[in-house]
Amino acid sequence: MLLAVIALPLAGCSRGNSAQNKIIVTGSTTIQPIAEVAKEDYERRNPDQVVLVSGVGSSAGIENVSSGTSDIGTSSRELKDEELDLGLVDTPIAYDAIAVIVNPSNPVTSLSKAQVKAIFQGTITNWSEVGGPDMAIGLVNRDEASGTREAFAKIVLDKERFDPTAVILPGTGQVRSVVAQEPRAIGYISLGFVTDDVKAIAIDGVEPSEATVVSGTYPVQRVLHMFTKGAPTGLAKSYLDFVLSPDVQESVVRDAGFIPITAKGLTGD
Amino acid sequence: MTDEPRMEDMPSVRGEVSNLKLVSRATYFKEAALKNLFLLCAFMAVAGVALIFVFVGYRGWPIFSEVGAGNFLFGMEWLPTEGLFGILPLFVGSIVVTVGALLLGTPLAVGAAVFLSEIAPPKVRSIVRPAIELLAGVPSVVYGFFGLLILRPIVADLTGGLGFGPLTAWIILAIMIVPTIATLTEDALHSIPGGVREASYAMGATTWQTISRVLLPAAKIGIVDAIILGMGRAIGETMAVLMVVGNAPGFFRGMGEPLSTLTSQIVMDMPYASGMHRTALFGMAIILFLVSMGLVLTVRLLSRLREETS
Repeated sequence: MLLAVIALPLAGCSRGNSAQNKIIVTGSTTIQPIAEVAKEDYERRNPDQVVLVSGVGSSAGIENVSSGTSDIGTSSRELKDEELDLGLVDTPIAYDAIAVIVNPSNPVTSLSKAQVKAIFQGTITNWSEVGGPDMAIGLVNRDEASGTREAFAKIVLDKERFDPTAVILPGTGQVRSVVAQEPRAIGYISLGFVTDDVKAIAIDGVEPSEATVVSGTYPVQRVLHMFTKGAPTGLAKSYLDFVLSPDVQESVVRDAGFIPITAKGLTGD
Repeated sequence: MTDEPRMEDMPSVRGEVSNLKLVSRATYFKEAALKNLFLLCAFMAVAGVALIFVFVGYRGWPIFSEVGAGNFLFGMEWLPTEGLFGILPLFVGSIVVTVGALLLGTPLAVGAAVFLSEIAPPKVRSIVRPAIELLAGVPSVVYGFFGLLILRPIVADLTGGLGFGPLTAWIILAIMIVPTIATLTEDALHSIPGGVREASYAMGATTWQTISRVLLPAAKIGIVDAIILGMGRAIGETMAVLMVVGNAPGFFRGMGEPLSTLTSQIVMDMPYASGMHRTALFGMAIILFLVSMGLVLTVRLLSRLREETS
């Protein structure tokens, strides 16, 4: 009798939640703000369900969803070649631009894509070479777990090596705060995280904004993904449908500084 | 099973003969239980170390057999995504960061210990000592924040870089190892018999002469002990270093240029490393384990030396 009383709630915790009304969402720190706010709204509408969200980096998210420890893996980068046969199904949820940021005191406002590449590869090392003051360039790079770095390397560096002597910081917020404090610094962060204390550089003369991303003229842009193992079913599907609903797309996605996947009028490719 | 008859004995013992026997029987059980409990505690510590070593060794060993000890230990490039697992720059980074921190922190800590033990009036001591001990209790992430927000901009102005690099790490680590070195140095000074001090003063030596010519030489081995333990703290520190060192896995190029260390690189890479890359991280853990084992052994040897000389 006593045993049964003890065992019942235990069974309720370990079985009921994980299998029936708990959704585990892990992955990109970039997508964290969307996943987190969507989770709160979703739980308010579905009080019997629990969504667990954690930002562990895109690669870890993909690994988690393919190994089954997460129901949904979020990623700010495309699947790598070796990840293509893991049986993951992609649900694009938003567009994002990666902004190249400098200190507001820096007079440089526009760079060509080739110049940005040369700066991040360490071949241009002084601001005077790109029309700025005579001041050494302070490179701020992201760690390799970062989906933003992955996307930036692919789009801007053509997958070539970054300057190995660059400072590597493990978070978007740290990159932004260092660039905000240091006149010589340059870094890159998701457009959604750009604030007034840093200045986003125009690339090839195009400022990063929703209009330039949607029109396709801003070159450093990407799609944010939520992956499921196989086609989404059950709770994962209902959470994904919620994320794609106008409620989330037009408010949460926009508030986080991203561009709704619906803005281009096609569901992502 | 063997316990049961004894248990049944107890009421009869209590009822008939004497309380002494009951007390001693109960005490016997208690003593035996406690003895075994403490044995278990000690065993857990040893088993913990052994298990960690076996686990880390098991996971890290393939890096030596498949990538090769030479390519791993003396490889000049850490580019795990391209299959290059050379940890020499990281190892050098750890050494640079540790040695610099010791050079800055040791005089500070020994000075503080001498002041506390030989100079400070009791009232001052009662304030300064807890303050130093408090330093040991500050979480390392707080030191990291302090370094990132306060020191980094200052170092950036000094060196003309972004302020991430060994100099910032040295200052932070120097503060962090002060409590370790100061406390142990103070102990070493206290363990010098009072007569030695009195003899020195009786010969007409000044306080400074007594400290520099008599006390510090007498406490020499104890101080070296303290420095080595401080070194263990510095080389193993991860979070605070990670936040200020810049994490560029190249060779040391200057005080204000970003660098990486074994510990910080493990933390940076762990979230996404897989396959041989992950194995390499465990290989780095083996190296760290061996280094700290070497440090502990040195301390043991020194303590034996101290016992023999005194």
